[in-house]
Amino acid sequence: MSNERAPTDWNAPAMQKRIRRRYARERRFRFFGLAAVTLSAAFLAFLLVTMVANGWRGFTRTDVALVIDFPATGIEVERAQLKTPAADLALAGAGLENLVKGAAATAFGDESVISDSGWLRVREAIKADPTILDRKLTIDLPASTAIDQAVQGDGNAEAKAAAAKLEQAGVLSRHFNADFLHKSDSTDPVAVGIWGALKGSLLTMAITFLIAFPVGVLSAIYLEEYAPRNRWTDLIEVSINNLAAVPSIIFGLLGLAVFLGSWSLFGYQFGPLLPRSAALVGGLTLALMIMPVIVIASRNAIKAVPPSIRDAALGIGASPIQVVFHHVLPLAMPGILTGTIIGMARALGETAPLLLIGMRAFIVTPPGGFTDPATVLPVQIFLWSDEVSRGFVEKTSAAIIVLLVFLLAMNGLAIYLRNKFETRW
Amino acid sequence: MNGFALVFLIAGLGLIGWLTARARANRFDRGGAKRLHSLPGQHGMYVAMWTVLPALLFVAGWNAISPGLVKEAVLEHPAAAQLPTFAFERNALLAEAKRVAHEEGATAFDPVAEQLVAPTRAAQSRYGWMGAGVAILLAFAGAAFAFTRVRPSFQARTQAERGVMVLLLIASLIAILTTLGIFLSLLWESLRFFQQVPITDFLFGTHWSPQVIDAADPGKSLGAVPLFWGTFFIGAVIAMIVAIPFGLMSAIYLTQYAAPRVRRWMKPTLEMLAGVPTVVYGYFAALTVAPAVRDLAVSFGYTYASSESALAAGLVMGVMIIPFVSSMADDSIAAVPTAMRDGSLAMGATTSETISKVLIPAALPGVVAGVLLAVSRAIGETMIVVMAASGAANITLNPFESATTVTKQIVDLLTGESEFDSPKTLAAFALGLTLFVITLLLNIVALRVVKKYREAYE
Repeated sequence: MSNERAPTDWNAPAMQKRIRRRYARERRFRFFGLAAVTLSAAFLAFLLVTMVANGWRGFTRTDVALVIDFPATGIEVERAQLKTPAADLALAGAGLENLVKGAAATAFGDESVISDSGWLRVREAIKADPTILDRKLTIDLPASTAIDQAVQGDGNAEAKAAAAKLEQAGVLSRHFNADFLHKSDSTDPVAVGIWGALKGSLLTMAITFLIAFPVGVLSAIYLEEYAPRNRWTDLIEVSINNLAAVPSIIFGLLGLAVFLGSWSLFGYQFGPLLPRSAALVGGLTLALMIMPVIVIASRNAIKAVPPSIRDAALGIGASPIQVVFHHVLPLAMPGILTGTIIGMARALGETAPLLLIGMRAFIVTPPGGFTDPATVLPVQIFLWSDEVSRGFVEKTSAAIIVLLVFLLAMNGLAIYLRNKFETRW
Repeated sequence: MNGFALVFLIAGLGLIGWLTARARANRFDRGGAKRLHSLPGQHGMYVAMWTVLPALLFVAGWNAISPGLVKEAVLEHPAAAQLPTFAFERNALLAEAKRVAHEEGATAFDPVAEQLVAPTRAAQSRYGWMGAGVAILLAFAGAAFAFTRVRPSFQARTQAERGVMVLLLIASLIAILTTLGIFLSLLWESLRFFQQVPITDFLFGTHWSPQVIDAADPGKSLGAVPLFWGTFFIGAVIAMIVAIPFGLMSAIYLTQYAAPRVRRWMKPTLEMLAGVPTVVYGYFAALTVAPAVRDLAVSFGYTYASSESALAAGLVMGVMIIPFVSSMADDSIAAVPTAMRDGSLAMGATTSETISKVLIPAALPGVVAGVLLAVSRAIGETMIVVMAASGAANITLNPFESATTVTKQIVDLLTGESEFDSPKTLAAFALGLTLFVITLLLNIVALRVVKKYREAYE
């Protein structure tokens, strides 16, 4: 070869420059990768920090100690009524609300330092012990949102001045807000709680689990173990894979049309099948939504059980049903449960389909059963996020913290199960 | 009788049937050379099945038809003659009577409805007890029939296992039924919508204002093009501008550069982004990101910036989507044979050159499929846009302006108080159908791409 190439001169300036450039590009690329990971994690951290920073205040409450001299106010209530269900009505009729506001106005010169629903606490105290109507009572009442925020360093100058005055008088105190955990929705941000929504979530989850788990596991068993390979099985399989990718809001439309719409069949008019806003409908809708998740996870778990176990059981005379229910299913159970918990976590955080089936109602009493009007935690968060009142911001964030704690616990349990029962065959 | 109580009662009868049949089969003579075909438990199963299944089937059917029977009975009551003939008011009054009949201590507003409460309650209890009676009778009849067949020679196992197989088949058919139910209910309501609004107006109209619908020509204000554009703009453009680089670079870094320890911690951390409920993202977008975006726009000298901009919703949605892109990219990069990577490195290429010239081209189908799935996820996402995007339908290229999406409009259309038959409500189902079809197509295409890609290397 006449034009044989000269060996590369690695030390030539041009080559050195090229290598430096390539290495610089390598470092840049690596840096971009690291930046992408770090920034993504930073997003998550920022989100969590924002929620916690806003939310932890939702768990605390500022109280104002108020002295009420009941005999002096001359409130007239029949003592006998206070032990009956009519007590609320009687106390409201006797003007308790105005009485408490009046006491606050006299004590602090401004009745709005006490939250609008503060008098309810006096009512509960009277119901618990009617004798306080005969004496002077000092009671801690929740402060209004403005005062509460002024105490924490927020709010306008006027509220701050008022809070400083109360502070000087020594009537302010801060407490853990236990009411937030066992009260329900209200129009007053000081009085709201998440128990109603939490109970609604639990009822909805119960229905979701009771339907999605058996159906999902049974259909996974059928598809993985017994189904003949034909067009029908393919159709079922394709349906399940597609269902897993259908946007959740579409399931809301399905629930609305099938469970709550009125439809006619063979000229016969059906009313709404199920009551609106109920945990039952929400649970059914979410069950249809997470069923494919459970089917897919269960199929993978069943597939992972080695064929030798099936062969051994068949070899000693077990029937195909016995093989699956006595041997394969117990071995696949950890995997199935992991998938189920992940699916349930998804259902717990889901909001959109539930909005469509009417679970956005203002619910003051926690649901007593599956067919009572209910709301769930994510929907409660959504409803509070729409409230203009300033105090709802911290309540919304506090509710988000509760929801995230539940989700983290469920995901943690799933990871624990996976690690504990992971089997290498 | 209460439905739950009835189901519990039937289940209880089934349990009793199971126990007694098993006890009886346990006493079969096992002596001698005779071998029994079935285990005692299988006899029990057989009896339990015959006890529970016919009764439950009857209960399900009865629940579907008994409201109609109750209605007929109420209509025969003399007080029903006062009901108005117009179907809508008539049904409203009947529904009111039904509600009062159910609730303890409730009262009806309308005097006619008040009069119908007693007959409704009577008819409900009559048909309720009738149904419960027949169901329990069926349970006993089934149990008795099955119990007489429990003999040593009876092949209970075959029968019981056939029953289990049928149960399994039914469970797997529910998936098809759900798909069919979604498709048919969307199609049905959409057809009713398209009877009132021409389909061309809906698909190609550029004006969307469902609040004021002209009764004479509803199609004029129900043109969905601005929604489709907004959905595409927020979900497929802005969100992907965030999600693709971040997702892809994270996957590359975690698979190629990161130490195993870092990878073990960072991967689940990123996956947590996908586990945060969308309502939380929506709240975050509305509370923190949207005001920041507006301030940014104002600092750019854009004074009419909306606080419900497309950018705020798209950015947060992009962050939510990062783990989808990164885990799909992760899988497809890991599936590229190591020999190809090692070959490139042995030739003297740097790691970044290997990645961009060898690994990414080889993994491209998987990455593309991941992006398609992410887009389908983004355009179906609801809560972020409900909370952070605006309701105003604009066709705009400016990310600081407001834009609305299909999912946000579905929620807006269906959460107001409106009757079920108006074009406004039905439009939500037409939007739902469009969304369903588009996401389905995206998923099918994505799965195709993945399948093709897998064939190339395995």
